[in-house]
Amino acid sequence: MKKNRLVVAAASTITLALALTACGGNEEPTDGGDATGEVRVWLVGSDTNDEARALLKETFEAENPGSTLTIEEQSWTGLVDKYTAALAGSDAPDLVEVGNTQAAAFTSSGYFQEITAEQFEELGGDDLLPGFVEAGDWEGKHYALPYYSGSRVVFYSKQVLGDTPVPTTLDEYVATAAGLHTADRSGIYWPGQDWYNALPFIWENGGFVAEPKDDGTWEAGFSSEGGIAGLTQIQEAFATSNAPKDGQETDLQVPFCEGKVGFLSAPSWIQWSINAPEEPEAEDGVPGCASTYGSDLVAFPLPGKDGGVAQTFAGGSNIAIAKNSPNPDLAYKALQIILSDEYQSIIGAAGLVPAKVSLAGTVDQTNPIAAAGVEAAANARLTPASPKWADVEAAGLLASAFTKIASGEDVETVAKDLDAQIEEILNP
Amino acid sequence: MTLTTTPVPLARRRRLPVMPWLLLSGSVALLGVMTGYPVVRLLVMSFQEYERAQLMGMPAEWVGLQNYVDVLSDVDGFWTVLLRSVVFMAACVTLTMVLGMLVALLMIRVGKVLRTLVTVGLLFAWAMPTLAGTIVWGWIFDTEYGVVNNLLTRVTGESWMGHSWLLDPLTFFMILTFIIVWGALPFVTFTLYAGLTQIPGEVLEAAELDGANGFQRFRLIQLPFVSSIVTVLVVLSMIWDLRVFTQVFALQGIGGDREQTNTIGVYIYQTGMAQGHYGLAGAIGVIFVFIMLGLSFYYVRRTVREEEL
Repeated sequence: MKKNRLVVAAASTITLALALTACGGNEEPTDGGDATGEVRVWLVGSDTNDEARALLKETFEAENPGSTLTIEEQSWTGLVDKYTAALAGSDAPDLVEVGNTQAAAFTSSGYFQEITAEQFEELGGDDLLPGFVEAGDWEGKHYALPYYSGSRVVFYSKQVLGDTPVPTTLDEYVATAAGLHTADRSGIYWPGQDWYNALPFIWENGGFVAEPKDDGTWEAGFSSEGGIAGLTQIQEAFATSNAPKDGQETDLQVPFCEGKVGFLSAPSWIQWSINAPEEPEAEDGVPGCASTYGSDLVAFPLPGKDGGVAQTFAGGSNIAIAKNSPNPDLAYKALQIILSDEYQSIIGAAGLVPAKVSLAGTVDQTNPIAAAGVEAAANARLTPASPKWADVEAAGLLASAFTKIASGEDVETVAKDLDAQIEEILNP
Repeated sequence: MTLTTTPVPLARRRRLPVMPWLLLSGSVALLGVMTGYPVVRLLVMSFQEYERAQLMGMPAEWVGLQNYVDVLSDVDGFWTVLLRSVVFMAACVTLTMVLGMLVALLMIRVGKVLRTLVTVGLLFAWAMPTLAGTIVWGWIFDTEYGVVNNLLTRVTGESWMGHSWLLDPLTFFMILTFIIVWGALPFVTFTLYAGLTQIPGEVLEAAELDGANGFQRFRLIQLPFVSSIVTVLVVLSMIWDLRVFTQVFALQGIGGDREQTNTIGVYIYQTGMAQGHYGLAGAIGVIFVFIMLGLSFYYVRRTVREEEL
């Protein structure tokens, strides 16, 4: 048995070695001084285009000689988890973008530095998008400011749609999609976890996500009469989709570029992914289909139940200085550039709604997709204004529930369970 | 020691055993920093109301056993997840041990070239970073472009394209089992192989002369010989498979229903990091630490007894 002891000892040593390799953290020393320093800006996803990124870096480094600015791109998936830990640590970034519906989780627990009234005026004041300013406020103080807004629009290509007329009501939209649906082509391409696209159906059918009651507690409304009607229509729409029932809304350009998609409801900046060259110039570029289905890409705002424009989800981002920022003064200077007219005009030209109301005109009106985005944004709504709402998102409750709806489970059961879960989080 | 009545020379008694302590200090310090402090912090946190605001410096309020009461009375949450984790762990460990033993036995029998091939193959699986491995497995079973769906469509003639493997919790766990067993197999196989090669050839030869067939030789000689290794491996695998995190978390990101596929590690992360309930997550963590300690206790006792032999 002596030799076996050696094997056991070896096994134990390997266990220890494995445990050790698992914790090789890399701590960067952060120098305190504010005069010059390295500012780290966390932008999320690819929504901010390269032109805006270059402008931010170049302007900042020209105005603050000796300082550098690094943009570190974050992923929307698991953002709340990551910020919760990263912003509380000593190695926190300086300036962070956060989804507008997620902002409250951080403003309510002291993660961001306060933007004083003077600073607020200096950065744009009342010109800043009101709904987004509100999303970044906590107890009457400003913490996170608007970065940009963008609503979802419905994309299509004439090559796929053919002579089918563009729907003018929500019911027509679903009916048209059902007509387009074949085994190889989605009417509406709709991955099951994409709940942002589901909210308009709820609102248009008279339902609600969650509303405060008189006693201050929240009531979730998916199982309300309007909610059930909305979910039923969502299930009909899901039935026209060949997208994975449990898929996420990532890389939407791939199926679209294969010509397997009738309608695609997505943020307006997705046009740059679809209308990109087949052979990307940048080394890490994503191939699109500029010469085929991207060539005649158009979009329309999602139609409402009774015509007009549907109430869509007001997507977008806020931007804030982290409480633990090593260089808050420099971070503020970077924030000034981001909210400058020049920077925000680039955002507008890219098809997003700029953070300043006065810059709405910079949105390229000759681009029908951008115009559709502005039209959709005019009728956009937010998720419930509860600081706990971000936890509902982080727990993946909606993604999970719509996955079930997409796979054909009973609408009423799903709605009841979902409401109970949402209320449990919103009313601790 | 205190009961020893034999007189010990004074000089020897006074000399402090410096060397053993010096040798120990490194690992003790390392364990203290890497494990000790976090465990103490976890314990403190589990008795507090600790949310995101407390993480940013707000003083935490003591709530006594409230977090534990909340966790232990949560049948749909905690208990379901724990039961699921245990069942999943049992399946993974059984499969890993059986396959590991079979491959180890195979490695003894096959020639040098084949053995090298098997070794290299196993090493590749072991060298693969967990996250990268899981993502690749995810691609293999991808709903729209996965190679499995493509293959099944060609073989069966029916259309498997668009079949979502991760949507049904049962097939989700089937794929998860593939990933875990695939990742755990190399270590188990190598260790068992090392143990099996220590068996003196003459013992097996003698048994063969006595008319013992292959299975009897395995059951009556090889298995008892490596039984201590098997026990240690089973306990280690139980610990590893129970606390598995990366594979589940990454696979949930690819598809499937989080709520129905959470295992205990991911559940703690969900409660703590994602939803910001650090106190509650701390309580689950402490309960989990005790479960792990129970398993490890057996492992440690076994190892110590082994030393005494």
